[in-house]
Amino acid sequence: MVELEAEDSEQLPDLCEKLLANPLIEDYEILELSA
Amino acid sequence: MVFGVLQFPGSCDERDALAACERVAEARLIWHEETDLDGVDAVVVPGGFSYGDYLRAGAIARFAPAMEAVARFAAKGGPVLGICNGFQVLCEAGLLPGALLPNALLRFHFRQAELEVAGGCDWTAGIDPGERLSIPTKHMSGRFFAPDDELDRLEAGGQVVLRYASGSNPNGSLRDIAGVANEAGNVMGLMPHPEHAVDPLTGSADGLRLFAAVASRSPAAA
Repeated sequence: MVELEAEDSEQLPDLCEKLLANPLIEDYEILELSA
Repeated sequence: MVFGVLQFPGSCDERDALAACERVAEARLIWHEETDLDGVDAVVVPGGFSYGDYLRAGAIARFAPAMEAVARFAAKGGPVLGICNGFQVLCEAGLLPGALLPNALLRFHFRQAELEVAGGCDWTAGIDPGERLSIPTKHMSGRFFAPDDELDRLEAGGQVVLRYASGSNPNGSLRDIAGVANEAGNVMGLMPHPEHAVDPLTGSADGLRLFAAVASRSPAAA
């Protein structure tokens, strides 16, 4: 699990697709945690 | 002819790669922060544990400034060889197809591998399909994966360059794939370590043939 602080949650899918995950071999799920 | 060998924090095989390149041409190290590849005729992305394999092997290295330069170099047709972690980096960077998964037995594997040349690219020029190469392997995540339709496309396009010989697949790679090339044939990745097979003293000099193939194609060698 990777924990991030992001100002804009709409950036998260892009972050996952382009940086955090390799969609070819990994699935991912975004969970938003309240402050 | 000058080989450029990348060096990331966590690389461990860049020195042997440099020594292998120096057997056939001039070579220098390229630090991960460098962006100027002027004077470099071929690039080697070496083995090791770049950035500690954090997140995923090769996942961080693909964003190194040097890799941006390598991508531009490859787009212009420059020869690029990714060895082991280098292969992982090139796949993560999208310069090669597929991905490398943990070995099927989930164990670090360290053994001499018998490879069969299956296709041609810049790095196997002069090596005939069907020839065997004896090159060591050492990795935890070397299982090549791509979807079936992608594998079919790679096979049809001649992009599968190396296979593990029958019965010697050490990691469960699909279709026994040990190395692939891009469509243009100038970028190649392989899990075995040719830089560790450049002198008969260590059991095999077959790996030297990959470096010699590119060195012999350079204008300086003509």
